[in-house]
Amino acid sequence: MGVRGWVAAALAVVVAGAAVYLGTALLDAPERGEIRATLSAVEALAGEDTVGYARAEGPVPFDFPADHGPHPDYRTEWWYFTGNLAGEGGRRFGYQLTFFRNSLAPESAPRVSAWNTNQLWMAHLAVTDVEAGVHLHAERFGRGAVGLAGADSIPLRVWVGDWRLAETGEGDGSPFPLLLHAQEGDWGIELEVEGGKPPVLQGEAGWSRKGPEPGNASYYFSHTRMPTRGNIRLGGDAWEVEGDSWMDREWSTSALSEEHVGWDWFSLQLTREVEIMFFQLRREDGASDPLNHGVLVEPDGSYRSLEADDVTIEVLERWGSPLDGTEYPVAWRMRIPAEELDLRIRAPVVDQEMNLSVRYWEGAVDVEGERAGEVVGGVGFVEMTGYGG
Amino acid sequence: MKLRRRAGIRHLLYHPWQLGLSLLGVALGVAVVVATGLAVESSRQALRVSVETVSGRATHRVVGGPGGVPDSLAARLGIGAGVRMLAPAVEGYVVSPVDPSRPLHILGIDPFSEAPFRPWLAGGPAADGVDGARLVTTPGGAILGAETASALGVEEGGRLVVQGGARTAVIEVVGILEAEDRWSRSGLLDLLVVDVAEAQEILGREGVVDRLDLILPPGEEGAALRARIEALLPAGTRVEAVGAEAGAMQDMLRAFDLNLRALSLLALVFGIFLIYNAMTFSVVQRRGMLGTLRALGTTRGELVRGILAEGAVVGFTGSVLGLLAGIVLGRGLVQLVTRTINDLYFVVAVEGVALSPGFLFRSLLLGTGATLLAALLPAWEAGSASPREAMARSSVEDRVRTLVPRAAVAGVIVLGVGAVLLALPTPGIEVAFGGLFALILGMALLIPVTTVVLVGFLRPAARRIAGVIGAMAARGVVTSLSRTAPALAALVVAVSVTVALGVMIQSFRGSVVGWLDTTLVADVHVTGPSVVAARPDGEIPPGLAGTARGFPGVVGVSSYRSVALQSGGVLTRLLAVELDPRGEAGFEFLAGGEVRDAVFAAFRAGEGFLVTEPFAFHRGLQVGDTLSLDGALDEEAGALERPVLAVFRDYGSEAGTVLLSRDLYDAHWTDERLTSLAIFLDGSGASEEEAARIASRLREAAGPDTPLVIRSNTELRERSLEVFDRAFEVTRVLRWLAFVVAFIAVFSALMALQLERRRELGVLRAQGMTPAQVWGLVSMQTGIMGGIAGLLALPVGAVLALVMILVVNRRSFGWTLEVDASPELFLQGVLLAVAGAILAGIYPSWRMARTSPAEALRGE
Repeated sequence: MGVRGWVAAALAVVVAGAAVYLGTALLDAPERGEIRATLSAVEALAGEDTVGYARAEGPVPFDFPADHGPHPDYRTEWWYFTGNLAGEGGRRFGYQLTFFRNSLAPESAPRVSAWNTNQLWMAHLAVTDVEAGVHLHAERFGRGAVGLAGADSIPLRVWVGDWRLAETGEGDGSPFPLLLHAQEGDWGIELEVEGGKPPVLQGEAGWSRKGPEPGNASYYFSHTRMPTRGNIRLGGDAWEVEGDSWMDREWSTSALSEEHVGWDWFSLQLTREVEIMFFQLRREDGASDPLNHGVLVEPDGSYRSLEADDVTIEVLERWGSPLDGTEYPVAWRMRIPAEELDLRIRAPVVDQEMNLSVRYWEGAVDVEGERAGEVVGGVGFVEMTGYGG
Repeated sequence: MKLRRRAGIRHLLYHPWQLGLSLLGVALGVAVVVATGLAVESSRQALRVSVETVSGRATHRVVGGPGGVPDSLAARLGIGAGVRMLAPAVEGYVVSPVDPSRPLHILGIDPFSEAPFRPWLAGGPAADGVDGARLVTTPGGAILGAETASALGVEEGGRLVVQGGARTAVIEVVGILEAEDRWSRSGLLDLLVVDVAEAQEILGREGVVDRLDLILPPGEEGAALRARIEALLPAGTRVEAVGAEAGAMQDMLRAFDLNLRALSLLALVFGIFLIYNAMTFSVVQRRGMLGTLRALGTTRGELVRGILAEGAVVGFTGSVLGLLAGIVLGRGLVQLVTRTINDLYFVVAVEGVALSPGFLFRSLLLGTGATLLAALLPAWEAGSASPREAMARSSVEDRVRTLVPRAAVAGVIVLGVGAVLLALPTPGIEVAFGGLFALILGMALLIPVTTVVLVGFLRPAARRIAGVIGAMAARGVVTSLSRTAPALAALVVAVSVTVALGVMIQSFRGSVVGWLDTTLVADVHVTGPSVVAARPDGEIPPGLAGTARGFPGVVGVSSYRSVALQSGGVLTRLLAVELDPRGEAGFEFLAGGEVRDAVFAAFRAGEGFLVTEPFAFHRGLQVGDTLSLDGALDEEAGALERPVLAVFRDYGSEAGTVLLSRDLYDAHWTDERLTSLAIFLDGSGASEEEAARIASRLREAAGPDTPLVIRSNTELRERSLEVFDRAFEVTRVLRWLAFVVAFIAVFSALMALQLERRRELGVLRAQGMTPAQVWGLVSMQTGIMGGIAGLLALPVGAVLALVMILVVNRRSFGWTLEVDASPELFLQGVLLAVAGAILAGIYPSWRMARTSPAEALRGE
């Protein structure tokens, strides 16, 4: 090949190279779109850090009505309302409205801006229409600043955006009745909730241990049967409803031990004004945890503890989430021999999964069984965390 | 058929320098156009990415006036109107001392509201994205992109000092975002995401946010929600749709972009000259072979197609090479363009150059098309001659000479069209550029006839000076007109455009200097640290004006508040002034200022606005017209309406500025802040020491946490000119690039011309001409051409300069410039032309002088 040949060859190579370069440059060309990026070098979740927060280290006498309000020194806190309500013609509904308070850090940053905060609020709302087999759920976040979300104790008020629970009374020392208001698009709830039976102090006088380490505990009290009336909206329809709610109030800094993968929580309202709460901490090895705990509330409001050994729970049926096949129990047999209780618990709608930023199953259940040879029925709510997602 | 094709390609390969020059011409022309296009496209795309990054999926936003949106509105809308998708945003710019030339875009957000808006910034207890907790609770906590972090030399957990906000702040990097694609990389460039509370404090915006982003559902539902929101809005705030912003910002750049593109097209025009020249040359050189091919039965059509195919190959190859070079060049140019945009318009961070398939395709098409266009005439020439004619050079020249008068007539017509286009009363910039290009083309077409006439005059003179050789040199210009005319035209256009651009820049600078002399009447100027040199976006403590008034030696203080207001969908820059009477002298009224005292009295009383010349131009406002500003707190009107009292000269902002009295501003907006002060000192021409003394007292009064930028009159003047010079750097670079292409075109044309005369010179040598005489002949001929080009370039350059100053600039930016042209610019042009031409003659004459006559004659 002569000089000219080389010139031609070189030119051809340059042109081909250029074509390849331009081609690759094009492949990398930005398209109209959104930012897609991953956060690198994330350190251990700040959530594990408990230094600087108040800890639930032992029983402390509750002070009502102040203790209905927030406890911002603790890392997490919730106002948990669940209930089984009936509409016209006996149409059955379950609902859940929960306000979660989260401290992001023991202290907020030293700033004067009104937006400054260390409080993040989250609220979950769910309505189950048993007849239609529909379970709707939604979530909201709110920064605990500039009035977007927050809580006051007296009078009691907790809100995330326009979802709220608020005292309706005259400040007579009791926050009840409470108004629960939450609308998501064309569905939601508007309920008035009475106090009902006096509060049940869970665990040791309200100190509920969740792990063997000191401080791995929460302050926890419940109102187990709260007469409720109001209305539920679903799409274009609205139902006047009536029934009973259950309120759990809990605040803590570190509640779960590392060996626990999740918990199952049962709140059952049986006929004849008897209520049962029981939670079991599920260990990684599947064994029953000695810290499993519950309570049985008599019609007169008196109550007694249920220890881990008192209760056996057997899963009868499971349901696989259509999202990814995660299996949740949806029917159980609960036996409490000392109380001569043998109950079958079943979710009337299996899909009551809360697919939100925290994924869990929480839903209305039916209860059938017997106590001391007599037939009992009832309704309740079950919450199960740590199964999937 | 095959034979012809092979003959064509062989010919090119056997004349590599000729091929090289053709390729160079196409490549350079395409490169300059591509580089400019890329720079412009990249900055535009960066702007779009940036706007879309910060607005995310928001469909609407609640905005306020310059005072912003009160913090409390978020809860009012969230709770009162049940607006769920609502996210606050506070934005601003800061710089780090690590790289002060890199404005950093602060975006203050609430990570817990972000999920629907900017999912990548959503934070929550279990979200995968940003660790909202750390962002919210870490003092100075910020998240930034990996590229920005490495450019600033910070890592996760590292700290960075930033200035330019209300105070010097320390940023702590709590997260680094790794972009997954180029769009994201571009969007994250120079972006510092901080918590909304942090942003308020860095930027001194406590109590207000810039906007509340909203996502409203489409249709009636959205309209109903919007109505609910609007019912709750306090005066001065409003809901607007998102999307107009990027468009409005790009509109601001339109004139700037267009000017750059037009300038780059010039380079391609010179490239076309080069290609035309090379193609003509290759046709003329092969006339023997082409004649043989015709004699062997090749048809005219085949011949034309063959030449065009060659042109296409050369054009395509050259365009590809030009694209590559243009991309490289574009990377440099984009920096200059970005800096100018940052200086004059708004901050935009450009990440590399934006290539798109469409852009590449257009560039290749442009280069190849231009080459084909340039090859059309030579191809037609090759095809139209009979086989016998084709073998003779003289026939070509004969035909060209008959074309000269026709070209002149066409030139006159094109000039007329250009003049009409320029005289049209339309404000369109494109029309002005059309006119400008028509003028250039028309003048180029007139060059052959002018050359013939000029040579007629020159020949006797040349003969007297250099005898027969002089006469031969002069005649040679006309006898090979097919070759000399395009070369001359290229040279004239290149030199005149260079001269015209030089005159334009000089006039502009002169006008700015004059304006600064008039405007800068105060002795000391105070402002906050500003991120962008030319824009007053710094801030100073509101009380400083009063403090300064109390200083001994201070006789007067004017205070200024500069804000950008979204009014009627466009960004309007307002300047609220509390004007000291001494400051009145700084206004040069262009209209409405007949009775200055009356104008200022009315202005002080809040009876009207003063507007800058570009503002009046862009809005089509005359003195007495009513200007309406949206977003005022005026409940009933919803807008502030006042007449324009006068129009004054100002080169500070291309988009223009509206001046209103501080009292009028305060009556309609809630905003206490101050942007700058102008302080007048006792005694005329207060000394620099006096200014320095006042400066240190001011700093003392402001406190150590509030950095002030204080400049004396002289310093501010110098600084302003610095910014001006920087703004024209792009123009200067393009001017030189265009000139380089033109120079290469001329150089190659003249060189080819002389090399082609090898045999002719060989004959002369054989007849006894010495090598020195050959050298003299060649240099003289190219020198004559250079001289002619230089001479012609003077009037052409002057006309082009006037058109650029009086029509193009005026229509693009709305500025009236004083024409200011120093003789040196013109002299430079002539020298450039002559030097270029002589340089082009050196190699051929050296080679001819070295070649023995026998060798030169061989092959006859």
